[in-house]
Amino acid sequence: MLVRVENLVKRYGDLVALDHFNLEVQEGEIVGLLGPNGSGKTTAINCILALLKYDKGTIDVFGHPMKPDAYESKQNIGIVMQNVAVFRELTVYENIDYFCGLYVEDAKKRKEYVAEAIDFVGLGDFQTFFPHKLSGGLLRRLNIACGIAHKPKLLILDEPTVAVDPQSRNKILEGIRELNRQGTTIIYTSHYMEEVEQLCTRIVIIDQGRTIAEGTTTELKSMINGGETISVEIYLLESERLAEIRQLPHVNRAHYADHLLTVHYDGGEHNLLGLLDYLKSHEIAFNKVFSEQPTLNDVFLEITGKQLRD
Amino acid sequence: MFWHVFKYRLKCLLRDRITLFWTLIFPLVLGTLFHFTFGHLTSDAEGFEAIKTAVIDDESYRGNTPFQEVLQALAEPGRDQFLDLVIVPAEEAERLLDEGSVVGVIRVGEDMELMVRRRGIRQSILKSFLDTYSQTMNTAQAIAVENPAASFEPRLSFTEEISFSGAKPDTNLGYFYALIAMTCVYGSYWGIRNTMHLQADQSPQGARRSIAPTRKTRIVLSDTLAALVITLGEVSLLLTYVHFAFGISFGDQLGLILLTSLVGSASGVALGNVVGTSVRGDENLKYVVLLIANLTLSFLAGLMWAPMKDMVSQRFPLLGYLNPAALIADCFYSLHIYSTLQRFWINIGVLCLITVVLSLVSAIHLRRERYASL
Repeated sequence: MLVRVENLVKRYGDLVALDHFNLEVQEGEIVGLLGPNGSGKTTAINCILALLKYDKGTIDVFGHPMKPDAYESKQNIGIVMQNVAVFRELTVYENIDYFCGLYVEDAKKRKEYVAEAIDFVGLGDFQTFFPHKLSGGLLRRLNIACGIAHKPKLLILDEPTVAVDPQSRNKILEGIRELNRQGTTIIYTSHYMEEVEQLCTRIVIIDQGRTIAEGTTTELKSMINGGETISVEIYLLESERLAEIRQLPHVNRAHYADHLLTVHYDGGEHNLLGLLDYLKSHEIAFNKVFSEQPTLNDVFLEITGKQLRD
Repeated sequence: MFWHVFKYRLKCLLRDRITLFWTLIFPLVLGTLFHFTFGHLTSDAEGFEAIKTAVIDDESYRGNTPFQEVLQALAEPGRDQFLDLVIVPAEEAERLLDEGSVVGVIRVGEDMELMVRRRGIRQSILKSFLDTYSQTMNTAQAIAVENPAASFEPRLSFTEEISFSGAKPDTNLGYFYALIAMTCVYGSYWGIRNTMHLQADQSPQGARRSIAPTRKTRIVLSDTLAALVITLGEVSLLLTYVHFAFGISFGDQLGLILLTSLVGSASGVALGNVVGTSVRGDENLKYVVLLIANLTLSFLAGLMWAPMKDMVSQRFPLLGYLNPAALIADCFYSLHIYSTLQRFWINIGVLCLITVVLSLVSAIHLRRERYASL
């Protein structure tokens, strides 16, 4: 077990930021902490990193209690913070070299590591640039390079793709997968459910400082009743036909409004095919067709009664 | 590791143009302004000439031996010559006065008489001298008449005897010494900048450095050394500039001048560390507090009005000893004026004590291991 957090309680005055929060991270995993803004993700990370005082609970990292002077454990941890943590007065190369130097004393080895990190995040052409000359996406990549240059065994990324363009985001996510393939265990916090869904081998959903669900994407989606949702643009649909559609296999509910038929299923396969067959056989003209699989937002909605991005 | 952190901290600070402007360029510009504002005043003071005076050579003068002796003493050629005397008949004296060759004419009698053609500082000084002489003589005569047995000892010394290094005291030098003191104290801007990058609750950089497996003491010492080196460099540059460009003297004890700069810079950096770690609030609030502190310390050290430093020392001596800027300025003044170093060493000792206390306070705040909030 690389990280074990048990019954962690953190209060800010009357506000309970973490309410008996638990987390376990095994070696080689990519664990996603998913929750809306203010749910306690960053607070949990800061407690794990021994930056924040907490009221109750225990935190072990690499099998040892995590304390500010746990230098041996810290040596193997990399952090990519939500706010870009680089020095504006240092160039790209100097920033990476500086932070790597806090972990790696051997100058020759450090030089190799820095070169690898620059190559990894694709900042080779920007080594002599100062941070203010970089775009938002490149700046985030620099932030990541500063966190990974020393080759940590455990990498914690706190919302690393906030305000990043899609191209840089894909590059970042691909980089994280590659690091994991190379053996780095990853804790990834985000409120972007799509990212977490794509990237993580296991997901922990947090709300109001508590773990409300955890498992793989499939496991989490199987926790809710909802299945596929199919929407079809139809100019005219008689109420008798709507009643018949409600009787089709696996249909949970269906409604028709504003020329749009929406059918919710609670399981089953090839539901789209079955619905289209029905429409054709009854000579009902239709236009566009949309099919949506259940998302983690649906899971969150089902459990908490609110949207993930509320 | 220490030198790695030091090297990059030095780069970070040296590339901070805004702080560099306020801690280096601003004092250089202020020094230049001081020179052009006070330079001519200094020249006037240094160019004091003996007052040209005529004394009417008549019976009364020839019969007043004590007054002759006093005049001779005051007209003695040398650095302290007060009067440039001519002893001439009455007509000649009046002619010299009319053509402006002398400032005043003294007629010796029972009451000393001074004739002048216009009013001015030199005429006033001459009048003041004659009044003091007459008053002293009258008092002595009165005592001799009323109580012949009593002895009269005129007050010969009005000031405490002190050792001079041979340099002339000059009020305007106080402005330059206060300016250098201000530059030392402005090392606090480097100190506060360091603390912003040391604390996890003040900046993301501070958080990242707190997570690293490097002992905080090592980072703090490296950062502080970088700030000290830069402040000392700035102070040395300013000293060199005002000395060679404007002829400001600091005495000839280079080692002690550098020691003052070093201890002064250290106290400045320590002040910044304390404000950066002790004041609760965001970066802007900390900078405002530091700005007010620096202005107050510099004002009390005589930067805006030179006599302020002495006024504070006389009326609130403790306040004078608690003000690093005043102590630094006084160190430079002591090196320039006094031949003994007692006062200098007291100032250096108190400065060291202040630096140690400030450093301890900031160390207590910095050693906090975890934060209540970030």
